Amino acid sequence: MTLLNDEIVQNVKDMLAEIPNEVTLTVFTDDQNCEYCTEIVQLVNEVAATSEKVTVEQYEIHKDNDRAQALNIERAPAIAITGERDYGLRFYGIPSGYEFSTLLHSIQAASSGNTDLDDQVKSFLSDLNKPVNLQVFVTPTCPYCPRAAVLAMEMAIVSDLVNADVIESAEFPDLANQYNVMGVPLSVVNNQERIEGAAPPHMVVDAIRKALAA
Amino acid sequence: MFDFKITDSKPKKQTEGGLYDIVIIGGGPAGLTTAIYTARDGMKTLILDRETTGGLAATTELIENYPGFPQGISGMDLMDRIRQQAERFGTEIIEFEEVRAVVPVEEGLIEVHTEGDQVFQGKTVVIATGSEPKKLGIPGEDELYGKGVSYCATCDGPLFKGKDVVIIGAGNSGLQEGIPVLEYANHVTFLEFLAYSRAEQILQDRVRAHEKSTLIFNHRVIEIKGERAVTGVSAIDRETNEEKFFPADGVFIYVGYSPYTAFVRDLVDLNKWGYIQTDELMRTKVPGLYAIGDVRADNPAQMTVSVGDGTKAALAIREYLQNL
Ligand SMILES: Cc1cc2nc3c(=O)[nH]c(=O)nc-3n(C[C@H](O)[C@H](O)[C@H](O)COP(=O)(O)OP(=O)(O)OC[C@H]3O[C@@H](n4cnc5c(N)ncnc54)[C@H](O)[C@@H]3O)c2cc1C
Repeated sequence: MTLLNDEIVQNVKDMLAEIPNEVTLTVFTDDQNCEYCTEIVQLVNEVAATSEKVTVEQYEIHKDNDRAQALNIERAPAIAITGERDYGLRFYGIPSGYEFSTLLHSIQAASSGNTDLDDQVKSFLSDLNKPVNLQVFVTPTCPYCPRAAVLAMEMAIVSDLVNADVIESAEFPDLANQYNVMGVPLSVVNNQERIEGAAPPHMVVDAIRKALAA
Repeated sequence: MFDFKITDSKPKKQTEGGLYDIVIIGGGPAGLTTAIYTARDGMKTLILDRETTGGLAATTELIENYPGFPQGISGMDLMDRIRQQAERFGTEIIEFEEVRAVVPVEEGLIEVHTEGDQVFQGKTVVIATGSEPKKLGIPGEDELYGKGVSYCATCDGPLFKGKDVVIIGAGNSGLQEGIPVLEYANHVTFLEFLAYSRAEQILQDRVRAHEKSTLIFNHRVIEIKGERAVTGVSAIDRETNEEKFFPADGVFIYVGYSPYTAFVRDLVDLNKWGYIQTDELMRTKVPGLYAIGDVRADNPAQMTVSVGDGTKAALAIREYLQNL
């Protein structure tokens, strides 16, 4: 049984038809403790099958620890979405429900290296001189979550100092507890500034400013 | 068990500017429907929304009474389709742009001022701002917002997998949005102020039949408790006057809605609850200014009604513009 039905497959094909550069989806599974690892591997393979520019690499987080470290991945299941460069786009958990959109947009963005952010936001990001980690907590049923997730990923595309981790909260309850996630989307900048809801770019910029000033 | 959805994940902001035939404030079902008609009719149409388009309807898990979808459809999917339909005919959309004031300049010119200090000009303007969830106004509600208190069970419900949840309000919204929460929570207690539920019978039956639910009537919630996170809800039994504590990790509040009309308070007639009064052509007392959907007085808050209002306004506007 496939995970994606014919209609979705066709839509994915259309969305990925014109991506310019190759994208690799590097999936990390966990042999010891992983509810949906089989499905996540199947999902990325079904997505990759729709476009010759998308390929999949698969690793086990403990056995292939070097590879996980190289991509800065500490927990599984995880997907690193890389284009010509590693822009720092990571998805933790299975991108199902609305988060499937986030995965597709991240593939498009990693392929083109382009974003729709406006010039003000881009120039702010290009001028950064300290690393910025954006964590976006989401759930698959949250309609507004892809907005927050895709925004973080676009910011990561613009600046090499920014990386974006999108985290499916229900699959990582420990992490969600640690950050006291009780509502989604929740974006966390450098482990300190929190933004609740699907905020427009300038609010995220403000939060980054605050986090860097602290 | 998994489903996969493709939605538009980026804010919309493209516009041509200039004088619009119609500026629509609010991109929910009502506003988008007007846009489908007017844009398809070749009129220059702009929608402004303070958030993302889709409106309240987009936050509901499953809509079962919208014709054409025999199995029901998720609110977000339905709204995505309606938005695409409006865009297909050339509707321009700006998101995250809150309207702060509507200023009639002269017959055939109304200005719309936004929080971002932008001014848009329309020959006509449609208010389709809908409503926002009402707050209870009790201790703990604001303090614990995002720490277990939520107004969107569809969004935040999955965070309470295996946990105890209280849903305040057992009307249509509370029951409808509570049903999916029953799937993953340990237990869901519905607390209702009235001695009965005003919800549709089919929803009441589904909730009662579920082994993980308890429906409690005639209780007035007085406080949401917790420090770092919600620990439970205190309520008074209105029959015995006894105070009771309901332990919970998550509290979802569904106690009604109030209209977004503060920004036009001095411009149009509002009823005593703040809803806008119009005639049967959706006209307010200001020429060229219309109001549709949940924001309009005496409307039941239903998609089909909002959509119908949207159509009526579009047709009235066509006629108005022809005679301008
Ligand atoms: C939990 C729940 C479940 C529901 N279930 C059903 C159902 O099963 N069937 C059904 O028919 N109906 C249902 N409804 C009702 C339905 O969602 C509403 O009737 C419908 O969304 C109303 O449409 P609208 O366009 O008038 O307003 P809304 O959908 O509320 O849209 C208004 C839009 O205006 C925007 N806005 C507000 N103020 C401003 C401003 N100042 N500037 C710019 N933009 C602004 C808002 O951001 C919003 O996007 C449900 C509602 C809820 C809350």
